[in-house]
Amino acid sequence: MLSKSLADELRSVLGAEWLLDSSEDLATYSYDAFLREYTPDAVAVPANSEEISQIMRIADREKLNIIPRGAGTNICGGSVAKQGGLILTFHRMNEILEMDPQNMCAVVQPGVVNADLQKQAAGCGLMYPPDPASLFVSTIGGNVALNAGGPRGVKYGVTRDYLLGLEVVLPSGAVIRTGGRTLKNVSGYDLTRLMCGSEGTLGIVTEIIVRLIPLPPAKATLQAVFTDLQDAAQTVAAIVGSGIVPATLELIDRVILDVIGDYGGANFSRQAQALLLIEVDGEEASTKAQGAKIEEFCKDRGAIAVERADTPAEADRLWQARRTAFGAVASLRPNCIVEDATVPVRNLPVMIRKIVELGEKYNLKIGVLAHAGDGNLHPLIMTDLRDAKEMIRVEKAIDELYEAALGMGGTLSGEHGIGIAKSRFLTREFSPAAIEIMRGIKKVFDPRNILNPGSFPESTE
Amino acid sequence: MKLEHIAEEFDQCIKCGLCLATCPVGKELFLEKYTPRGKIQLAKFYGRESLDLSAHCRDIFAKCLLCGSCSVTCPSGVDLNKVFVSMRERIADRRGFHPRVRQALDSLLENHNISEDANQERGEWREDMRDLPADMYEKDRAATAYFVGCVASFFPTVQSIPRAVAGILTAAGLDFAVLAGDEWCCGFPLIGAGAPEKARALMQHNLEKINALGAERVVFSCPSCLRSWKEYYDPDLELLHDSEILDNLLSEGRLEFQELNLTVTYHDPCDLGKNSGVYEAPRKVLEAVPGLSLVELENNRDRSICCGGGGNVEMVAAPLSESIARRKIEEIQATGASTVVTACQQCVRTMQTYLRRHKTALEVLDIAQLVQRALKHDT
Repeated sequence: MLSKSLADELRSVLGAEWLLDSSEDLATYSYDAFLREYTPDAVAVPANSEEISQIMRIADREKLNIIPRGAGTNICGGSVAKQGGLILTFHRMNEILEMDPQNMCAVVQPGVVNADLQKQAAGCGLMYPPDPASLFVSTIGGNVALNAGGPRGVKYGVTRDYLLGLEVVLPSGAVIRTGGRTLKNVSGYDLTRLMCGSEGTLGIVTEIIVRLIPLPPAKATLQAVFTDLQDAAQTVAAIVGSGIVPATLELIDRVILDVIGDYGGANFSRQAQALLLIEVDGEEASTKAQGAKIEEFCKDRGAIAVERADTPAEADRLWQARRTAFGAVASLRPNCIVEDATVPVRNLPVMIRKIVELGEKYNLKIGVLAHAGDGNLHPLIMTDLRDAKEMIRVEKAIDELYEAALGMGGTLSGEHGIGIAKSRFLTREFSPAAIEIMRGIKKVFDPRNILNPGSFPESTE
Repeated sequence: MKLEHIAEEFDQCIKCGLCLATCPVGKELFLEKYTPRGKIQLAKFYGRESLDLSAHCRDIFAKCLLCGSCSVTCPSGVDLNKVFVSMRERIADRRGFHPRVRQALDSLLENHNISEDANQERGEWREDMRDLPADMYEKDRAATAYFVGCVASFFPTVQSIPRAVAGILTAAGLDFAVLAGDEWCCGFPLIGAGAPEKARALMQHNLEKINALGAERVVFSCPSCLRSWKEYYDPDLELLHDSEILDNLLSEGRLEFQELNLTVTYHDPCDLGKNSGVYEAPRKVLEAVPGLSLVELENNRDRSICCGGGGNVEMVAAPLSESIARRKIEEIQATGASTVVTACQQCVRTMQTYLRRHKTALEVLDIAQLVQRALKHDT
């Protein structure tokens, strides 16, 4: 709990109604979509960067922890108060400040929902490509903090690739601007991209200039049906290896197909042991040609059918159902641990084989879901945190999974972030010297360690 | 359902947050406690008694439309609607009704309807009806009973809806009876307020009266009456919304339409669509009208957004209900249609109230009113 004088001071900055500390508020800002809950001391709902700057000054002086939180959909524990403190939310900073089609960019506040930006951009014939599964809920601020990706990453990249500039409030209260509206910018260190993926440990992003690209005029969604998971994985590696880059190349195994079922009227193949959900986009003629080529590739490598979604609505239903996978597995077991190990795409078939082996070896129910085209795997381990014996097996399996991914030149996390979910593994991916550099950077930005403490890089145990 | 019996519902929520995308209340009030995910967390805490049932808590759970969008969206299959109704039961049990609904519910229990009028006024909608038969549709026996519902019976702005239904059924040659002053509130407002046991007497009365008619089927204009009959009455009777009976009459060739040059959109009422699963019947009726073109709303069928009139929210938080209505109207206007058709008197009333207050031109019709207009020989 905050002392009365500190709460009063914060209220004088925010206005009384925007500092929340009722039991109900503390209970409902104690979680994100990761497994562990931590009760904060209070929740602030600022209206602008000036208020945030004043809050930071107070927090720095009082050594009050500040934990920025978007929509709380991350699955690494990135936005919970691990060591108590003040949750900073952006509900009132949710405006698209400017659409700038001439410069192919938009200026947005951190609380803008990803899908709202996409919709507005589409209205101008433009596209904001990053499309995390949480896009109808998650905010651009949160996407920046976690460097969110999504299915379209294989062709279009991730949040980091669409950032031109930022406004950031530092723990000292100073407000800095990075980047600008130009596509090219090599002046100084690239602070814009340093902030991206920093998980709220360096500064508070209060304004974002995002890059937009032309909206492809046509797209087609295909589902390729395989009776063998390995065939599907080999096909992915072969498609990408041949130089064809579809907009999305998703792999879903039978376990996941069973749990998402026919959510929202989606019509997935019933025969599939594995399914590739593929979208190609671009000019009408090129999508047709690419679609045909991909179909041929799939059939040559064992696909028993390649079906095309007939209408945009039908394609939407498939994608909407795909996005529910994380939530849907909860209908099987009480908890779900989503891993995010990512490997060079050529190694995808080996990695998928490894995941299946780990499930058998440790007697665990693991579903395989992957943004396969960019080697980004999401094995979903369905488990029960209350079962101590099973949790030991889960830990062992995760351990081996990372060992394998890193051994192939991969990474712990492709897009979900480190947070508290994977901080203990960080020393495997980085040498002590690299970790020291990260800690040094953290100290420069946040010498008193008030920003999202308990996250990487200080906690690697 | 008692809160302790549904613990598995909230244990199954893994806080993915997808429900935040569709909850109209969450979108307006944005603080996590008002979102479905937040309310599930609170229910869990209250369920294990680690939070007090404060007045603030009662206010939070009163700000829910019971529209069912969250239940439809939830990929984990959590029946959030059930949890929220159970929470209202616990709150009503331990702290009493929300002060803003208490008076209305007390009056309901006394008068057997949601207005402040005596229940004998329930048949008032028939006044001024052309071709009103001498029996005024009150009969000793009838295979089909028409359950008019409180809103259509007592609110003058929507009394033309039962008039339209009666006219259409007569034109189609379908014999039916109404209960008039013997029809009591179906109990839905009490169920929604967390006091289903107080609705028992009302339910029993209605069932007795319908059974006394020897009815085989009951037709409802109000989707919420239909829903409470389906979920709480459980009678051995066929229960149909009027849009379903209109669809049946059409396919039997008992209704003939004239051309109507009109572009309309259709608003799926929550209790008819998401909560009763009726999406196609009203659309089939609309599509049967020659010259009429139907433009769907961006969010239609199970993605339809509540008009703001659900869950007693209007009584508890009028400005919230109104801002949700505004979003609905904006979505309707984006279709370019000059008329919105729906199939619920509460939806009609909520939308019309908003339009009147904001001097906005848009025609709102119940499906029965539209059919009456399209009938070749208008009765």
